[in-house]
Amino acid sequence: MVSLLSSAVLIVCLLMLPLFLSGPYHMHILILTMLNVILAASLRLINLSGQISLAHGGMMTIGAYTSTLLVMKLGLPTWAAILLAGFSAALIAYLVGFPFVRLKGIYFSIVTIFLSEMVVLTAQQWEDLTGGSTGIFGIPRPDPIVIPGILNLDFSSKVHFYYLALVLMLVSLLILFAVERSRIGLTLRAIQQADSLTESVGINATGFKVLAFTIGCFFPGLTGGFYSHYISAISPDAFSFLFSIYILVYMTVGGDKRFAGPILGASVLTILPEVSRPLKAFMPFLFAAVLIAVIFFVPEGIAGLPNLLRRGRSGERTAHA
Amino acid sequence: MLEVEGLTKFFGGLEAVSGVSMSMKPEEIVGLIGPNGAGKTTLFNLVSGVLRPTKGRVIFEGTDITAQKPHHIAKKGIVRTFQATNIYPNFTVLENVVLSCHLKPGVGLLETVLHTAGSRRKEKDILHRSRTILTLVGLDRMADVLARTLAHGYKRILGIAIALAAEPKLLLLDEPLGGMNGEEVSETMGLIRRLWQSGITILLIEHNMRATMNLCQRIVVLNLGRKIAEGSPAEIQGNSEVIRAYLGAG
Repeated sequence: MVSLLSSAVLIVCLLMLPLFLSGPYHMHILILTMLNVILAASLRLINLSGQISLAHGGMMTIGAYTSTLLVMKLGLPTWAAILLAGFSAALIAYLVGFPFVRLKGIYFSIVTIFLSEMVVLTAQQWEDLTGGSTGIFGIPRPDPIVIPGILNLDFSSKVHFYYLALVLMLVSLLILFAVERSRIGLTLRAIQQADSLTESVGINATGFKVLAFTIGCFFPGLTGGFYSHYISAISPDAFSFLFSIYILVYMTVGGDKRFAGPILGASVLTILPEVSRPLKAFMPFLFAAVLIAVIFFVPEGIAGLPNLLRRGRSGERTAHA
Repeated sequence: MLEVEGLTKFFGGLEAVSGVSMSMKPEEIVGLIGPNGAGKTTLFNLVSGVLRPTKGRVIFEGTDITAQKPHHIAKKGIVRTFQATNIYPNFTVLENVVLSCHLKPGVGLLETVLHTAGSRRKEKDILHRSRTILTLVGLDRMADVLARTLAHGYKRILGIAIALAAEPKLLLLDEPLGGMNGEEVSETMGLIRRLWQSGITILLIEHNMRATMNLCQRIVVLNLGRKIAEGSPAEIQGNSEVIRAYLGAG
């Protein structure tokens, strides 16, 4: 359970962190970690309805290009563009959602991979708009936020981006948590267990699956928008198939049964390869090894560890009694 | 209340249901019997919208509901139970019922996400209603138990409770007594009779002949996808074609 107190302590720690650890490299890793947390947590919402999406990379690409083009071609304010990046990914998810959710299990996952690949191909081929395979460079930073005398964020340093990513992550998690705790979350979990039964009592299971996919794709779109203005460059293959797989690994290793799971999984697996450079070179191997270990030994993921240990101990007690 | 006209369903070359017509009056309790493979469950699937009929019409309370989506048909008041996956195993017994109660409109999805005062009040009503239903079926003491840990008989009763929470006018029960022991059978029969007396129209598939004859006012017999007989329990018991269907040509 995410208790209120521990969340508050964690948030205060995250707010103070740049006071101790403000080097650009550390900031960069922490920003990427928070983006991965948003991605893995939003993937879990889709997962609640019993579907595994591998379109998160594609959705991020859609968001990144949408925001970039809105700012650079149409001159929209960056903030509006980043928000619209989320909505454009959600819109596309909604449109493809109805045919997609008719497919179950692995077949749904496969069409989400195709969708991602189509996004990459579109970005590569539509050269007039997207600059083709080379991508787009010199994407402007977010517009400065200035409250005279109190706040002056002009995004000239990574610390400013850190705080922006932190706000983005907290708001995203809050929304995802509220959705999960609501009737939508309960209904999605029911659909995962027995979708024909939910329909027999009048629940539009197809509609709810599409809703989960739409909301779940809004966040990678938003993240993609943020990312393009942060890195200031975007290319069609920035978020490959492997990228989508990694997000799935974050969620699974953290534990898809609990809200805290993807948050933990994304944090551990983003920071771990950075601890030592040799590890980073072998990231796919590392991830595969961790994934296999978790599936065998901690099926409920990192978030399920405390529960597992407690059960183990009480199991011993009853065995001795 | 329910009119089924010439309902036909082909699975490839196999005619699972063949030109079946039947009707039900309000507050009636009717049994649907027949040997295995007679097309009873397929008929349920056609009426409840899980399958689209190849031919024929289903009319409920004067409107044609043929081939409508299952959740639309459920909202109109036809709710069915299932033989196999009839509960949500990883929910508690209470949550199983709460989920079906959500159907009744009143609170929008956005309100439940925002957790407004209105939605909290509504959630409280739903909890109250769910507990009332559990008391009615006799599962109130097990409200907080995980559904998958229930004994088989209780799982089947929970399946009925889930259907009840959707406020059916017409309840389609698919083998409600399947796999139950003697005591559970008589308890569940009592429950079905109480539901019928409370005004719910019931169509029931059941292999337990004694229970079916005992509960139902009228019986419809299917064999190899066709309706071969219809009448009171006494008439059906004496019908030579029915006896032949069950015992083979003699």
